[in-house]
Amino acid sequence: MERVACLDPSPTECTSPSSSAPIWQDVLAHAMTGEFLAAMNYASLSEICADPAEIADALEHAQNERGHAAAFAAEGRKIGVEVANNVDARHWKRLRGTFLQCIAERDFIGCLIVQEIMLESFALASYSRVAKVAPGSLGKTFARIAAEEEEHLAHAVAILKTERARDAQRFDDKFYRLHLDVMTTLTQMLAKDCKDGHCEVCHASCVKPSLFEVSLSAVQLRGASLQQYLKTLDMLGIPGQVTLTWVTQLPV
Amino acid sequence: MIDLDFALIGHQDSWRAVADVLAVLRGPERTPLPDDEIKDIFPWIPPRALCYVDVGSVVGAKARGAYIDSFIPPDGLGAACVRENIARVRAAAANAIQAGAKIVSLGGFSSILIEGNFDQLPERQGTVFTTGNTLTVAYIVQGIKKMCALEGRDIRSSTLLIVGATGDVGSGCARCLAPHVRRVLLCARNVERLRRLATELQADGVQVEMATDLRRFSADADVVICAASLPSPELLLGRVAPRAIVCDAGYPKNLSPGAETLGARIFFGGLGQITGGLRFAPDFHGILNRHPFPNVVQGCLLEGVALALEGRFEPFSQGRGAITPERVEEMETIAARHGIYLAPLYNADGPVQHDCGAPALVEHYITKPGDRWIQGAAQ
Ligand SMILES: NC(=O)C1=CN([C@@H]2O[C@H](COP(=O)(O)OP(=O)(O)OC[C@H]3O[C@@H](n4cnc5c(N)ncnc54)[C@H](OP(=O)(O)O)[C@@H]3O)[C@@H](O)[C@H]2O)C=CC1
Ligand SMILES: [Fe+2]
Ligand SMILES: [Fe+2]
Repeated sequence: MERVACLDPSPTECTSPSSSAPIWQDVLAHAMTGEFLAAMNYASLSEICADPAEIADALEHAQNERGHAAAFAAEGRKIGVEVANNVDARHWKRLRGTFLQCIAERDFIGCLIVQEIMLESFALASYSRVAKVAPGSLGKTFARIAAEEEEHLAHAVAILKTERARDAQRFDDKFYRLHLDVMTTLTQMLAKDCKDGHCEVCHASCVKPSLFEVSLSAVQLRGASLQQYLKTLDMLGIPGQVTLTWVTQLPV
Repeated sequence: MIDLDFALIGHQDSWRAVADVLAVLRGPERTPLPDDEIKDIFPWIPPRALCYVDVGSVVGAKARGAYIDSFIPPDGLGAACVRENIARVRAAAANAIQAGAKIVSLGGFSSILIEGNFDQLPERQGTVFTTGNTLTVAYIVQGIKKMCALEGRDIRSSTLLIVGATGDVGSGCARCLAPHVRRVLLCARNVERLRRLATELQADGVQVEMATDLRRFSADADVVICAASLPSPELLLGRVAPRAIVCDAGYPKNLSPGAETLGARIFFGGLGQITGGLRFAPDFHGILNRHPFPNVVQGCLLEGVALALEGRFEPFSQGRGAITPERVEEMETIAARHGIYLAPLYNADGPVQHDCGAPALVEHYITKPGDRWIQGAAQ
């Protein structure tokens, strides 16, 4: 995969897990929810694949994502917290809804765009940020899973580039429609502060204002996610001018 | 985007400018992003093209290019962000190469950052880079001469101070102007580089003084060029003659807005104007080139445009400290052939003269509130 310069406007630093366990608990809960959702999405994808190799591929992906969720749960136990997850939390539910719409339309390409481009870009960027600051095995687990998500992303980019080469305009139009839906939800989820109520994943009040205690911030996670998204779209060959407009037009 | 004649790499010098750029991208139907969100989001945007740039020559040539922003935050030009900013300019350069640009001009800090860092770029297949500084020097020098003429000053009897004298732009200006003034004062921080430039100029019989501190010169300057690579407008001139002619060529500006300049005749230097046509798609006119006259662009960017119109795809300005009067003359001749000339002079308070049909155009810009010069002009 093409290597893009890493633009990182914020400093990093480490903290000990004990005092910040409740914060990691919520960070893990969000990550775990995302993994379960991914596992569900890949399982659904396997149902619309015709080719046995594609079916096996999707099921293997689903298994992988369940493995990620289990790894996050195990990290929680190590620091003495129970990591919950909630794929029915409002933002996640909407994301799942969009994916299921693609499934209903038997739109394999749409499914890849939603799960492997949009959601994986977000997972890769946020896990990588967390990996930089999370102490010990927690950080290592986030780094390892980020690396695997990067592979998922590369896999999808290769397929989608070929698809785009067939009819760029059609591909970009479809992409834009899904972008409006999925990325609007993702940016709402990643907003600096949750203006429209509880996310239904954090165990108590919203974790965002406390993230600074573990050298993270909602601003950073959103910024890194949007940056990764733009870089991924560059890899697909969608003109940078166009994708910049898409991203700057998202609601904040 | 493929096979462009030229690419212009730039960055915004104020958050106001950034906000305007983002407002264009968002379109008039969406509410503008709040300032705090802009500051939070902007630094994360990877370098990319903002728009196409179509230019015309007065002799009929046309060229198509793109403006690529490196998205360096306006307050992030300091030493602490150098590595990060080099990565940004590199990525912008990679964008230009991928777009197949035949020539790339490096605006503002871009050339300073990427100099010596041209490695790690994709295969260049015919893309050349120019710092654009030769044309910048040409317009600074022309501006000084014009201002002297307007003010009825004899440049030959003047004392010229150059701040940032050892830089690419500063040393080019020194070589062009030193033989025509009475005395030259050179200022920068690095003494060794100052000494080398002083020796070079003295060999041509120029009377030279150098200092790392502006207050140390034995005489007051009556002509000043500010061409230091300062991350923000923070320069205080200290000792200059009353009513000195001062050219601020910095991007961002060098001069602190609160600088005590004793009635100095300040103008923003290094700017040229395209008379054969300039169009941005989408329309960033007056946003990417925020000047009180139309079709005004920094000299460094115009150099790439002029070379593209000329069909001369060569790295005209390369490295640092290599700008000579002969090269400056060659470059300004190329630019002029295509109708690219020194821009009308202006400063933060508005136009410093009324030529080139400026008054009519002033009204066009008066609709843009917040521009400081408009308030001045209205007095
Ligand atoms: N108007 C236009 O069209 C253009 C404007 N520019 C602007 O011109 C300026 C200079 O560019 P360029 O010549 O390429 O840059 P260089 O890096 O080549 O030179 C910068 C000069 O400034 C000096 N300097 C830096 N900091 C200070 C300081 N605090 N006090 C005094 N001197 C200082 C440096 O010397 P030392 O390090 O020893 O102090 C050096 O002499 C920049 O602001 C750039 O953005 C550039 C191109 C076009
Ligand atoms: Fe995963
Ligand atoms: Fe994944």
